[in-house]
Amino acid sequence: MAADASGNTAIRARALTRRFGRRVVLDRLDLDVPARTTYGLLGENGAGKTTFIRLVTGFLLPSAGDLEVLGVSPAAQPGTVQRNIGFVMETSRLYPELRVQAFLRFCGGIRNMGGEALDAAVESAIERFQLGSVRNRLVENLSKGYQQRVSLAQAFLHDPALVIVDEPTSGLDPVQQRDVRDVLASLRGDHTVLLCTHDLHEAEALTTRVAVLRSGRLIAEGPTAEVLGAGDALALFRSGENRA
Amino acid sequence: MRPLLALVRKEFASLFGAPTAYLTLTMVALVTAIIFFERLKVYNQILIVYATNTMGGFDTDTIPDHVNLWDTVFFPVMEALGVTLLAAIPIVTMRVFAEERARGTDELLVTTHLSPWQIVLAKFLVTYAFVALILAASFVYPAAAIEQGGLGIVHLAAVFTGLLLLGLGIASLGLVCSAFTSSQLVAAVSGWAAAFVFWDFGWSYSFLNESTASVLDRIALHPRFGAFSEGIVAVENVAYFGAIALVSMALARFSFDLRRVGN
Repeated sequence: MAADASGNTAIRARALTRRFGRRVVLDRLDLDVPARTTYGLLGENGAGKTTFIRLVTGFLLPSAGDLEVLGVSPAAQPGTVQRNIGFVMETSRLYPELRVQAFLRFCGGIRNMGGEALDAAVESAIERFQLGSVRNRLVENLSKGYQQRVSLAQAFLHDPALVIVDEPTSGLDPVQQRDVRDVLASLRGDHTVLLCTHDLHEAEALTTRVAVLRSGRLIAEGPTAEVLGAGDALALFRSGENRA
Repeated sequence: MRPLLALVRKEFASLFGAPTAYLTLTMVALVTAIIFFERLKVYNQILIVYATNTMGGFDTDTIPDHVNLWDTVFFPVMEALGVTLLAAIPIVTMRVFAEERARGTDELLVTTHLSPWQIVLAKFLVTYAFVALILAASFVYPAAAIEQGGLGIVHLAAVFTGLLLLGLGIASLGLVCSAFTSSQLVAAVSGWAAAFVFWDFGWSYSFLNESTASVLDRIALHPRFGAFSEGIVAVENVAYFGAIALVSMALARFSFDLRRVGN
């Protein structure tokens, strides 16, 4: 599927707004995520990152504004969008009662994969995300780092055009964080990856462009080195300075 | 179709991967067995009393009509099995949707090739299959009573159909309750409450005018189930349970839309 008419933009938001009751969680957001890049969406907890992701996946409907994902509106055609995205959630939201290989086969099945294609995709994912030693273990018995690898593996199983990764290293110890970042770094260039994080080092290491959200508003956007390299990057999270 | 089947397989794996399924299955089978043998004991004692009093053995002329296997054993066991289902099925249904919400895996499911309708259908089908399994394991006792009572296979099939539909009706109510919450406790309690409210509206004749109470009575589970116990499979009653299933699925489907626009 083309990213948009020209294939250059994976996600395009215009005046995108989401309210929960009277609370405005996303406020007239304008954003373009270029295709085939690793794009960072930064912001402190509660900035609106997860809400933006849920709008992109079609899990939530916007209150106002326009959103196109891979050239399609997730509000109008959620199924079309959902078929072409992979999603790694904030905490590894998996099925603890399933074994790793069975879980991956299940994830392939619900993405309409079957037969030899499914076998090949599962084997490839197990190899790519180094899950061979735990393939027959129950998900609940894995370390958090391995659970996050499983979560990443299921998201890439069907080779989606867009992969959304929400706080991939949250709750992991430093070694596990490094492992997961290495895995993400190895994926650069093949897919469009929207990486949501509040970890500035992670964004610097993995992304080419970033957008910074605060209280649902876009306060900065541009090449990662430019946005995070200019002065005190932490000030973006704290101050009211608007560089969008 | 493939995503639906994948989810059905996963649902069976999740269901039988947890102890709740086995405990529920054992509980219903055990309670039914205890009640059956208790009623059978009572029946035998009554027979012995009559046989002793008349000194005439078990000649049918010496035993009143109301003392029979049907009224003394079968009906009480069926009543008890119905109430047991009422208590047991919400324990099975409570986790079906609520657990997905609590874990956040519902977000994974809806961002795949699965449509909300397919998710609902898979979960209802697996739960219905489990209810059928519970009944298959428990029905051996009522079946024995019917067989010994000489009522035949047609009557047996009618009663099993009634019990199955009752079980599916209770399960449908429980699944709707599970679809609107992320708490399994809330799902179980509201499932029980809904099932008890819909069980029998006979009480409403004391509080409401007759026409209103009559309408309520028509949507109650127990009177519909009672007709099957008599061996009558009325289309109207089958349609009633079918309607409960369809309305419940539509409500569960609606819970997905509600989340999308939720405040």
